[in-house]
Parts: sequence; C-alpha cells; structure tokens
Amino acid sequence: MPTIDVDLGELKKLLGVAYRGDVEKLDSDLAFVKGEVKLYNRQEGIASIEIKDTNRPDLWSVEGLARALRGYLGIEKGLKEYIVGEAVVDVSVDSRLRTIRPFMGCAVVKNVALSDTVIRGLMHLQDKLDQTYGRNRQKTSIGLYDYSLIVPPLSYKVVKPEAVRFVPLGFSDSLSLAEILEQHPKGIEYGSIVKRHEVYPIIMDSQNKVLSFPPIINSNDLGRVTAETRDVLVEVTGTVHETVLNTLKLVTLALVDRGGRVFAATMQYESDGLRVVTPDFRSRLMELHVDYTNKILGLRLSAKQIAELLLTAGFGVESVSVESVGVLVPCYRVDVMHPVDLVEDVAVAYGYNNIKPVWRELPTTGCVKPEQRLLDVARELLVGLGYQEVLTYNLTNPETLFDRMNCERTRVVEVANPKVVTMTCLRNWLLPSLMEFLSSNQSVEFPQRIFELGKVTLLDESKETKTRDEDWLAAVTSHSAAGFTEIKSALDAFFMNFGVDWQIRETAHPSFIEGRVGAVVVNDEEVGVVGEVYPGVLEAWKLENPAATFEINLEKIIKNKQAKLG
Amino acid sequence: MVELRAHEQKILSALEKFGGTATVEDLIAECGFPDAAVMRVALTLKEKDLVKIYAEQQTQLRLTSEGEHHAKNGLPERRLIKAVAALGGAANLNQAAEKAGLEPQFKQIALGWAIRKKWAIYDSATNTVRIADPRLHQVVIPEENDEALLTFLSARQQTTLEDLTPELQSAVETLKKRKLLTVEPKTKRKLEITHAGLHAATRRAAAAEITQLTPEHIITGKWRKVNLQKYNIQAPVAKTWPGKKHPYLSFLEEVRMKLVQLGFKEMTGTSVETAFFNFDALYTPQDHPAREPSDIYYVKSPAYGDISKYKTAVEHVKETHENGWKTGSTGWHSTYAIREAERLILRGHGTCLSARTLLSKDLEVPSRYFSIARVYRPEVIDKTHLSEFNQVEGIVVDEHLTLRDLLGVLEKFAREIAGADKVRFKPDYFPFTEPSVELSAYKEGYGWIEFGGSGIFRPEVTLPLGVQVPVIAWGLGVDRLFMMRAGIDDIRYIFSQDLDWLRRKQVA
Repeated sequence: MPTIDVDLGELKKLLGVAYRGDVEKLDSDLAFVKGEVKLYNRQEGIASIEIKDTNRPDLWSVEGLARALRGYLGIEKGLKEYIVGEAVVDVSVDSRLRTIRPFMGCAVVKNVALSDTVIRGLMHLQDKLDQTYGRNRQKTSIGLYDYSLIVPPLSYKVVKPEAVRFVPLGFSDSLSLAEILEQHPKGIEYGSIVKRHEVYPIIMDSQNKVLSFPPIINSNDLGRVTAETRDVLVEVTGTVHETVLNTLKLVTLALVDRGGRVFAATMQYESDGLRVVTPDFRSRLMELHVDYTNKILGLRLSAKQIAELLLTAGFGVESVSVESVGVLVPCYRVDVMHPVDLVEDVAVAYGYNNIKPVWRELPTTGCVKPEQRLLDVARELLVGLGYQEVLTYNLTNPETLFDRMNCERTRVVEVANPKVVTMTCLRNWLLPSLMEFLSSNQSVEFPQRIFELGKVTLLDESKETKTRDEDWLAAVTSHSAAGFTEIKSALDAFFMNFGVDWQIRETAHPSFIEGRVGAVVVNDEEVGVVGEVYPGVLEAWKLENPAATFEINLEKIIKNKQAKLG
Repeated sequence: MVELRAHEQKILSALEKFGGTATVEDLIAECGFPDAAVMRVALTLKEKDLVKIYAEQQTQLRLTSEGEHHAKNGLPERRLIKAVAALGGAANLNQAAEKAGLEPQFKQIALGWAIRKKWAIYDSATNTVRIADPRLHQVVIPEENDEALLTFLSARQQTTLEDLTPELQSAVETLKKRKLLTVEPKTKRKLEITHAGLHAATRRAAAAEITQLTPEHIITGKWRKVNLQKYNIQAPVAKTWPGKKHPYLSFLEEVRMKLVQLGFKEMTGTSVETAFFNFDALYTPQDHPAREPSDIYYVKSPAYGDISKYKTAVEHVKETHENGWKTGSTGWHSTYAIREAERLILRGHGTCLSARTLLSKDLEVPSRYFSIARVYRPEVIDKTHLSEFNQVEGIVVDEHLTLRDLLGVLEKFAREIAGADKVRFKPDYFPFTEPSVELSAYKEGYGWIEFGGSGIFRPEVTLPLGVQVPVIAWGLGVDRLFMMRAGIDDIRYIFSQDLDWLRRKQVA
C-alpha cells in the first residue's frame, strides 16, 4: 500500500480546508478515498497518509487527494474538466524500441507556479508512480524537464551503450550509458531493466542534446526542474501503452492543478506509422443500470439519487433515465474497469454506515473439517498426560531440521526468497521445533513436558502443488530422569485411549540412542518413532537434561481409523 | 491444649520415669536420641513451659592414654616396689625393673615416685633399691588415693570433679601433673518437668504421632491409635504445572465453534499453493506488487505446480486478466502467462481456499464456508509482524446477497466473536472484491479495533470460476482480538517460545 507525505498547507491551498490542528477530521474525511493518517509531523504540518487502494494512483499526490475529496466535502461536485492545448512537440519513436521499451507519452505544461514545496510533492508523486504503478520503472518511468532549454522535435531511439555521453543528474562529468550503469546510483539500482539488451533507449532533442536515458536517469542540464522553471516538459516511457498514457495524465494533471496550461505532443511510431497525441484528458462514458446498482447494494435508489451520488464521487453525469445513468468517468480514474467499480463509489458516497446491515437466514449447516474432532481428542489426551501444548513456526532451516538432529540432509520444501536465514524451508518433522523450544527454556523449572500437533510439509509429485501437508503429533519429556520407559508409557496410554492398536519395532535413528528407539507401527505400517534422544543431539541443542520423545503421523492414524469405521 | 510431637512426648515420658528430673545424658541413654536432638526438643518443651532447664558448670576429668595404661597395669612405682619385695626387699634396680616388666621409659619414673612416696631408698653407688620400712616388705603397701582415682576413672567414661569423694579429689592434682588425666570445664544440663509437662505427658502417653498416613495404618486400623501430625497449612508448597492447551489455539477453537454455530463449513488446503489460486483466480494481475519476492514466498524447488486439471478456468482467468472476457470488465490490459500461474508459493492469505471452493464442483448454493489457515509473508519478525500466522476467513454464497448482507455478516461476527457493543464500517480495498468494507468493532474496555476486511467478489473473480451468484468474502482480524484478550501487545507471544509464560497463562 502506498504511503504519501502530504503537506497540509498545500492541501489547504488546493482544497480550502484547514486540517492543521484537526488531523482526526482529516482521517475521517480520508475514509472516502480509503486513506488513513499513519503519522503526523505536527511541527512541519506533514501527514503520512496510507492509501489502501493500490489501483488509485490518482490519489498519490496532494493535488490528486484534493481533486478526489472536493466532491465528498461538498466543495465542488461533478466532473472536473481538463483541456489540452494544441500539439507543440513532435516525438519520433524508433521501431527498434519495440522489444525494449516501446511506448512513450509526452506533454508540455506552461506557466506553472512551482515552489520548493510543490516540487518536493511532484518528486514524491513521480517516485510513487515509478515504484508502484510503474513496477519499479519496469513498466513505466517518468522524466520532467525545463522546456525552455529543449529544442523540439524530440527523438526517442536506441543507441549503443558506448555511443553517447552526457552528464547524468547529480553528476558533473559526462558518462557513456554503459558507465552510467556502472557508476551512477540510479544506474546501479535500475540497470537490470536494460542491461540484457544490446542497445539502450535514449531521448534526444533536435540539437542532439540528451534529455534522458530512460528508465535510468535524466540529463543534468535539461532534466532539472527548479522553483524558477515556468514551462515543464513531461515524458513517460514504458512497456505497456495504457499505463504509459495513464501515468502521463496523472503527472500532467498535478501540474495543471498548480495553474499550468497543458499542450499536447505527437508520438510518431516508426514501426507502424501510428500517430498518438498525448495526453488525452477525455472522460469515458459508462452506463450504470439502476437495477444492477440496487441489486448489489440492497438499496432502492432511483436513477436520480444514483446520479447525485456519482457527482459527489467526482463523476460526470451525461444522462439520467429511469433504468440507467450515463456516467462520465474522469480520465484520471484509471481504476474503473467495470460498472461494479461505480457501484462501490455510489455506496461510499451514500455512506456505508447509513446502510442497514441484515443477517440473512440461509439453510446452511456448519461443520468442522472431518478430522477436527479426533485432532482435538488427541490434544486433550496429551494435556491429560501432563504435557503443555506449544505452537511453533512451520518455517525453519536445514540446520535445525537435520544438522542439530544428527541427521543427513534430505530434500525439503525450500523457499527461493528467504527473508532471514532461520526461515528458509518448511519443516518435514516436528521434533526439531520442540528441541528448539526446550533449548530456549533451560532456565525454566523441570520436568518439562511439551507437545505440538502441527503441520509438516512433504514433497509429493502426485499432487497439484507437488507437496502435501500432514497433521503430525510430537511430544517430549525432559528432566533429570527422563527416559524411554516414561515416553513409551505415555505413547501407550495415548494409543489405548485413542482406540488404536500399536506395536513397537526395533529400528535405528540417528537422533536417538541405539537400542532405545523403536518404530511405531500401526496396521503393519510405520507411522512414527519413539525413543530416547541421542546425547549428541541434546548437546547440539545445549540441553542439560535427558529427553525422550515420540512423533507420529496422526493424519495417517486418523485416516486408518476413519476407514475402519467406514 | 498443647500438641506434642513424638520426640517431645518421649522426652516427657522419660522425665516422668526419672522422677521429674534428669540430665541430658540420662535422657540420651533412655530415649536413644542423639545429643543434639535431645537438646533441640528440650528447648521446644521449654518454650511451651513443659520443662525447665538448669545448667551447672562442672569440671570433667578424663584419663590420658598413659593414664589408661597405668590404670590397667598399675602405677610403675607400685610395680617396681612389688618386684623389690619379691626379690627380698632389696635389689639391683635393673634386676627389679626386669622383674617388674617395666617398660624402659618408666624405669626412672618408677624409681623417682617410689622414693617420693617414701616406699624405697636408693643407693646410687650400688644401684640398689631397698624397701624403706623394713616391715613393709612383709606386707602389702596400702593403695593410695592416686591409684584409687585411677581405677575409679578407668571404670567410667566421663567423670566430673564434683562427683568425686574428697579423698579422690585430693589426688586429681597429682595425676594431672603426671599428665595422666586432663581437666576441662563443662556445662551440665538437667531437665525438670513442670506441672504442665507432667499433665501433657500423662494425657498423651498412650498415643504415638505420625506425619505420613500409610496404607499400613489404614489396613491394620492402626490409624486409630496414632496421632496425625498437624501441618502448618500456610507453608509454601512446590509449584505444579499441569498440561494445558495453547491459549491461542484454544482461542481459535472457540472461533471455529462460533463459525460452525453460525452455519459455516470448514475448508482446508495446503501451505504450498499455486500462484493461480493465490493470485490469478483472485484477479490480482501478474505484475502486482503483492507478487514481488518481497511480499510472497516463492518455492525454490519444485518451482511449478500442476493446474492442468483446471484448464477451462485458467483460460477464462487469462482472458479476464487480458481483456475482461465476458465479465463486462476492461481487464488489466496486461499480458498473462500461464507459466506464471503455475508458480508455487507459500500461500499469502486464506482466500486461495475460497477460490478453490468456488471452482469446486461440490460448491453448494446457498452455502457458507470458513477456513483457519496458516499463511506466510516474507516479513522480519517484530512486535507487530510475523512471517507466518493464522488467518480466519471465508465466503457466503447465495443468489440474493447484497452489500447489506455483507454488513450483516460483519456485524454478526463483531458481536458473536469479538463480543462487540458497536460496529463501524469503512470503505476498504482488495483487488478481488468490490465493494470492499473494513469492519471496526467497539468493545467496552478495549476501544475500537479493526476486526475484519471483506467485500463482494468482483465478477472478474466469480465468473471465470463458473459462479454466477454473488459471493461475500470476509476475513477476520482474530490475532488482534486474541492479543487484547490475552493482555499482550507483542504479537510474537502467539508463537511464544517462553514455557514459563505458557505455564502461567490463565485459561479461565
């Protein structure tokens, strides 16, 4: 979820509402746009606002927030019209970009009133759009320039990594594109996007001055916007045409809301001769049916009421009939994909808390999963035997699962992107988790008897997910006199009460003392192990008391039992 | 009424037997207790005013080893004079000593004392010993006091100066000088039974007192004759740690039962899931940030699962993502790769189970489902984040469901599960629901807590899965509720490795 820093002074300028000193009011107003104040810097009057809707990039600037809130606050309802002036820049787009970064959008905004605060806000918006909507510049990236320094037409083309040199933003020397990827912080950060290509994208003006090496870095000469800049050129490049155009609209609109006037640019795609004029601020017409709306909301709204609510939500209304409303969706509402999106905005404008909840009686019968009863019985038996139930993580690591247990490593479900070294795979047995638990409780009173009924994850080629989860049960007793007899007795009591006949079969297991370990056998099938823990394992876990344990595949035992009962 | 312990009773009885007064030594001999035990009991009895203790300073006499030797064999001078007498009243010293069997070291001592006691005369020129009184060689020289004392002491373990007759007392100094005995001061204690003591002794004389009641006492009926010692019931006892269920799992059981009561059926699934059910089927685009490695765990190997049995649904989902298919949506306008849908991940939410249920041919309409699923996120664990936790969520499926029903479900959960007094709804966002609602519940003492997120599944979710009716999807923030109930503000306690905390955690 994007979090944006909003200068409340700027919000007041744009919206006319003073929230400084009443952040609670701001928080409650933000509910309309699914926003929440996360932090408030009282001194500087800056609120960190989290926008839950990841699909509303139009809200990621103070300008956009003001634009969205004005209807809900009753300041100005309905569609806000934005006009684009004639095309002032031509851009040719090289066909060789098709497999690299094929699309571009461009606009010029003249007579913008910029200040350091406004520029900070713009950079913040650019950053959020690049990161989230532009997927870390993979999908789109934005460049802003001082238009007065640029001589159109522009060309968006490809060059060899060493062919062109320019001074990247923040540097004083000119570097080749290859050098930028090696030396400039942004080159290091985003280089992987272009590196696999033999040629790199570049934007130049008619004087062969470099504007930008997208999506990496702008020129230090042209790509620097300051409070003195009056006319701004906005450029967006990317891999998805619609996203490129949307991004361009969002950045340009923020500048227009600051008093600028927009002029278009013409993209001339060499590959197919297509000409695209950007930006396009036209709204879309969508039809919203009254029945459909009421069916979803459970309300009895008329077309007129729906239209009124849509105006509050900042939509335009083109027509109202008995059955439907012709809705004008503003160009910046890129989230609207389906009439259901309009229905939600109708509900938000109506107020969720004005809708009366109803509990619908349905003829459904509740039930737990089939094995749940027996799982609960198993837990109760262990509790009755004096064992404390514990809950541990399924995520663990091979050192815990194998090395410390004196076992050979085998294949388990490993994650490709672990966050910490202690959580790199899913466990395939429970005992290591219990040993780990004991090892963090060496100063706690003995005897210690603990158990866990938990999931283990095993590889299984036959399954859709190539794995299966099973419910296993493990118990450990640890104290100065803990031993095989005690744990066997506990296991025997468990099986007897669980109604399962079991045998013990001699076996060897590296985690247990030789001759003090047995395989647990039910229906001629091995379903677990019981024994006294090998001192080397105790040592590996820094345990000073002997420990005896059993671990059984409870899922299999329950399935056998249920099969027997038919 | 004074209660007596067994030892106390025994001492009192012994005193009674001794006629009311006895020394500690007497009591040791009578009762067979060690010295220290008798004194300890005596002090307790004194505190209860059952006995009085008197102390006397005495001088204790004890023979040295040389003293013992002479007590047994006779003083050397006596042995020498006897030999001289046997040799006719005068004899060479060496011959006499030999006759007497005197040890060499005692020869000079014997001569010295024989002369001092005026028993003999010694002529050094001839080395001759002669009995002093010529009459005496005929008769036995009478025993003197020192010899009597020696005999007396050797017959007893301990003797005090005060026990001796004046005659014997006169010899003490001599023997002490000869290093044949030692003299030490000693406190001698005597116990005298009081009137109350006498009373207590008589009253309880018949009954013995015991601490542990044994099967033998019961079987033989002996318990009737014994007194069971009374305990100090205020004394602290050792802690007992019973086996208990984990508090968080007990809480989840409670939630599970509530949901069953409300008509919900449990769904289950596995930790490893395909991206298809975790994301694609839930209309989460393939380049959505929630699918970044920073937000979801990918399985290293095997990296891909098998979704071939859902061929039709996968095709429909693909088209929906790309262009909206028949859902009336524009779709994401993004390219959709089936290979990406096959990617195996650790499920990041329980909603994948709902997607599976919707696709299942066993889906019933109307129906209500829930799941309690362990889910995984690549988070660094801290006070407010876990990298795996349990999610409680589910769906309601019925032809006529509306937003009002959704709010009704949420309100029901808030009241039934969280015990809320008031509820509040806010717009929320999930890629797979529209409209989406956040539930806040107010409970006296807890304040407002965010208790759930929910919504009506988007048509882009239900239609490709073959579901034509509205589906309400909901999830509950049960961990927050548990933390409030358990009075903890650190989410790590849910998976607490602290045995002591689990042992002390109250279950009521």
